[in-house]
Amino acid sequence: MKTNFIELNPGAVFAQRGENKAREDFTNVDIYDLPNINLTPYNCLVISGFADQDFLYEHRQIILDFVNARKILIFSGNLVTDWLPGGQLFVPKEIHSYKDYEVSIHTQHPIFEGVLEDDMTYNKGVSGFFARGHHPVPEGAEVLLTLPGDTPITYIDRVSTKGIIFVHVGSDLFGYMTPEINKTTDRIGPQLLKWVHEENATLQEEVTTG
Amino acid sequence: MKKIAVVYGGSSHHHRTYKTSEFAKYINRLIPIRELETASLEGVDVLLIPSQTHLGLLEKNVEKIYAFANDGGTVVTLGPQGFDWLPSHKWEFRPTNFWWWLEKDPKSGLVLSAPEHDLFTNYLTLSDATWHQHGVYWPPEKCEVLVSTDDGGAVLYIDRVSTKGTWVNTTLDPDFHYGSYFMPATERFLRGFLPWLVEGQL
Repeated sequence: MKTNFIELNPGAVFAQRGENKAREDFTNVDIYDLPNINLTPYNCLVISGFADQDFLYEHRQIILDFVNARKILIFSGNLVTDWLPGGQLFVPKEIHSYKDYEVSIHTQHPIFEGVLEDDMTYNKGVSGFFARGHHPVPEGAEVLLTLPGDTPITYIDRVSTKGIIFVHVGSDLFGYMTPEINKTTDRIGPQLLKWVHEENATLQEEVTTG
Repeated sequence: MKKIAVVYGGSSHHHRTYKTSEFAKYINRLIPIRELETASLEGVDVLLIPSQTHLGLLEKNVEKIYAFANDGGTVVTLGPQGFDWLPSHKWEFRPTNFWWWLEKDPKSGLVLSAPEHDLFTNYLTLSDATWHQHGVYWPPEKCEVLVSTDDGGAVLYIDRVSTKGTWVNTTLDPDFHYGSYFMPATERFLRGFLPWLVEGQL
């Protein structure tokens, strides 16, 4: 079962990618073309916090309809308008010490299998790259990662729609695809990809049999 | 008091910095970038183009921004730019050293080239402008370079010669970092830079 990803390109210079073979299933489209695109062939919609979230809010019905067709939505970033089904707006964390940024694995999950918490927290001994706040989770969602105080930073929501919504409060986790840092975080991108493929296969099966 | 309009991209970074934070009060108007092509710039004194602006839509509006400058307006650009469009700026990309401050005898490599300038006598210190930079400009000779690298590349400069207006260009990206809740110096930078744009001497 092939999974076709569609990624909204927010146009920002930091969000542009070079050639990346690991993303061969990804179709990259300009965010402002969203209303003109036939989303039927795609199984997974990928959106980042660089996106124009006023525009996404205006077109939230397109996004809701997409996920409700038993599809997958992945959002990495800070949610600042109410376009994400089940999503609640970003809440920044009050920081008193570098330890406030420490990432914990709340629930063991294949996406983070073999990934060390310290590798997510620290980059050259400096913390704060991974997550600096949170989104309150929808009831019934599965929390994968937290900051201190059980603050959820990464969750999977299977209840708000007929599809699956994966939300991470930091940078694009597919960005961890290129193994150049040589840390266990290199596993996240490929494992996230694998998880999407597996979930998509199950969702499509349900569509066929259900 | 100058009136600042920000070309607004709707990202979480722009949302925090220009719409909901303490800095929103310095902004007279947010112009959604989708509407820039048709927006009237009447009454705008300073047009601010933030970091991480949509490249395709920016490219479509370059002529309009030049026309605004040639009409006597002030254009402010925060870095880094994704393509060459500023007047005679001669951008030189440099790999960013995010980690200089962890090195022995840390040196940011930044120099305050115009300590007597209003921006630095009344609003900012060099340390407020110090985190990292993504490259330098080599603008025309008569431009006023306020902050440079130790080899003379411009990190923040004012160009009154290339058009009939004024350009304040920097390779620094304070709005992106502040909008990402990361790097305290960027907050100090905006606390000085934005009031200077409103009421200071350009």
